[in-house]
Amino acid sequence: MVRIIVKNVSKVFKKGKVVALDNVNINIENGERFGILGPSGAGKTTFMRIIAGLDVPSTGELYFDDRLVASNGKLIVPPEDRKIGMVFQTWALYPNLTAFENIAFPLTNMKMSKEEIRKRVEEVAKILDIHHVLNHFPRELSGGQQQRVALARALVKDPSLLLLDEPFSNLDARMRDSARALVKEVQSRLGVTLLVVSHDPADIFAIADRVGVLVKGKLVQVGKPEDLYDNPVSIQVASLIGEINELEGKVTNEGVVIGSLRFPVSVSSDRAIIGIRPEDVKLSKDVIKDDSWILVGKGKVKVIGYQGGLFRITITPLDSEEEIFTYSDHPIHSGEEVLVYVRKDKIKVFEKN
Amino acid sequence: MDKKMRPVIKASLHYLALAIVSVIWLIPVYAMLINGFKSNFEVLSTPVLVPPTKITFEAYVSVLLSLAKPLINSLIIVIPTSFISAFLGAMGAYFFYTLSYSFSRASSAISDVLFSLISLATFIPQEATLLPLTRLIVSMGLLDSYIGIIFALLIFYIPTGALLMSMFISVIPRSLIEAAKMDGTGDLKIFMKIVFPLSMPGFISTLIFIIIQAWNNFFIPLVLVTTPGMKLTSIAVLSYSGAYGTLYNDTFAAGMVASIIPLAIFVFLGRYFIRGLMALGGGGKGV
Repeated sequence: MVRIIVKNVSKVFKKGKVVALDNVNINIENGERFGILGPSGAGKTTFMRIIAGLDVPSTGELYFDDRLVASNGKLIVPPEDRKIGMVFQTWALYPNLTAFENIAFPLTNMKMSKEEIRKRVEEVAKILDIHHVLNHFPRELSGGQQQRVALARALVKDPSLLLLDEPFSNLDARMRDSARALVKEVQSRLGVTLLVVSHDPADIFAIADRVGVLVKGKLVQVGKPEDLYDNPVSIQVASLIGEINELEGKVTNEGVVIGSLRFPVSVSSDRAIIGIRPEDVKLSKDVIKDDSWILVGKGKVKVIGYQGGLFRITITPLDSEEEIFTYSDHPIHSGEEVLVYVRKDKIKVFEKN
Repeated sequence: MDKKMRPVIKASLHYLALAIVSVIWLIPVYAMLINGFKSNFEVLSTPVLVPPTKITFEAYVSVLLSLAKPLINSLIIVIPTSFISAFLGAMGAYFFYTLSYSFSRASSAISDVLFSLISLATFIPQEATLLPLTRLIVSMGLLDSYIGIIFALLIFYIPTGALLMSMFISVIPRSLIEAAKMDGTGDLKIFMKIVFPLSMPGFISTLIFIIIQAWNNFFIPLVLVTTPGMKLTSIAVLSYSGAYGTLYNDTFAAGMVASIIPLAIFVFLGRYFIRGLMALGGGGKGV
């Protein structure tokens, strides 16, 4: 319901000693679900606080639709006039108020009758399935319920933009998927523009249509999560958006060599980094006759683990300390030698810098 | 034998040290308690630490009669003073909290300067303000009145309240206030609905501290009270030790009576006081 335009935004702290955001440019479309992914300290929270109006950009401009809301260190539209609902990482529920009072709090600042407030709160509570706990205090609620109360408080005032700051990091792993599904469902029902900040690629894949990756304050890549997954601009982006094997090798005429493994790719520099996702690696004792998989050499199984119904197998090339892990549906004993296959068009090559 | 002390001996030594300190601390209280129950003759003829042979209440009776008015005066002064100082102090503390988190560099600088000034105000010895304070109160026409004494005490205790409350308020998570701000909540409403209720243990601690300080304040009532009817407890207690002779049993009884009210307040509100102190120690867990 609102389009956000970020133009050349930079943010420095401590008189320029700390650069939190470095010339960020981005357009977030009306009704889009946009994700910001980055390691801790990359400026994600700063970015979100600037959008929310809790902080101002040191330089650059921020527009909501065609309205300039902040520019060059000046706050033009304060947070309360931006029609934003925000879910904080810690949820920031008022501990002295009940769930009902928490959700109703934004409405008490508008000229609205008690009846109307009750109706709106109950409506949103029903959508989020918390109507039976409205009389409880936050400390009496489970983590998932607290999170939904926080979401309800953000949604009850009918915002144009919903900001989620690491909204699932305080939840049990089991509950995260249902919480993500709920957020996505509510968003599409209300059509509100959504900005989610996270370090967890699972949040991004579950929710975002598009994602921007922040590294050291710079927006290094923007695109669909799947595109970033397959075509990351750097090994850092690759490892932020999913698990990846990172191997440094020497470049020869026949490709990149790491111990007994040889990846047939051509690179111009001396040394290169090979990135290969675990699902693009296959270990086999016998020769595989399938053109999409290519043999890169022999490796030795180092460790085998078990995780989520699959065996996690780590191998090392012969004569090298590098490690490659992959998942397999059957165990292979450690110490065994295996043939290492990789999916042909999925080898990612990055220059060493 | 083992060089390490056995736990029993170690604990015993700890308790012995504690006991010695407690006894030293309790001796004056003990003396105050027993001597108030002695007769005029016995208080002069027996050593101060020896208990009375016969308990009499004559000292207490005579003291209570003459202390009744000062006790009421003190209550009339101390209750509004402590509530106003703690409450305005809390508001001031919240003001500094919001200023220091503001992203405008000017306002956080202003916050620092004002806060240093306030801290300074709590360190000024009250005696140093004798002339200006008296002249101020006289020119306002408030000499020898409840309002005048309350006003003078507020000058000293509002900064104390702000200083103490800012320690409690600064542990409230910033995101709570930001969440309220984003919903368009005004500062007064944020203070009344969120900040004040959440800093209640701190508020009560501050309140108790100021009650005790104001109750025992000697200098301000000494200068600003001119008629006997306006006397406060701290001054009235002193009048029992005269230059030509002292009625020790009356003095001790008066001391006891004067201590009872702050003591009772501390006993009733003491657990909040402790809770407030614990909230401070708990860092960010001040909620």
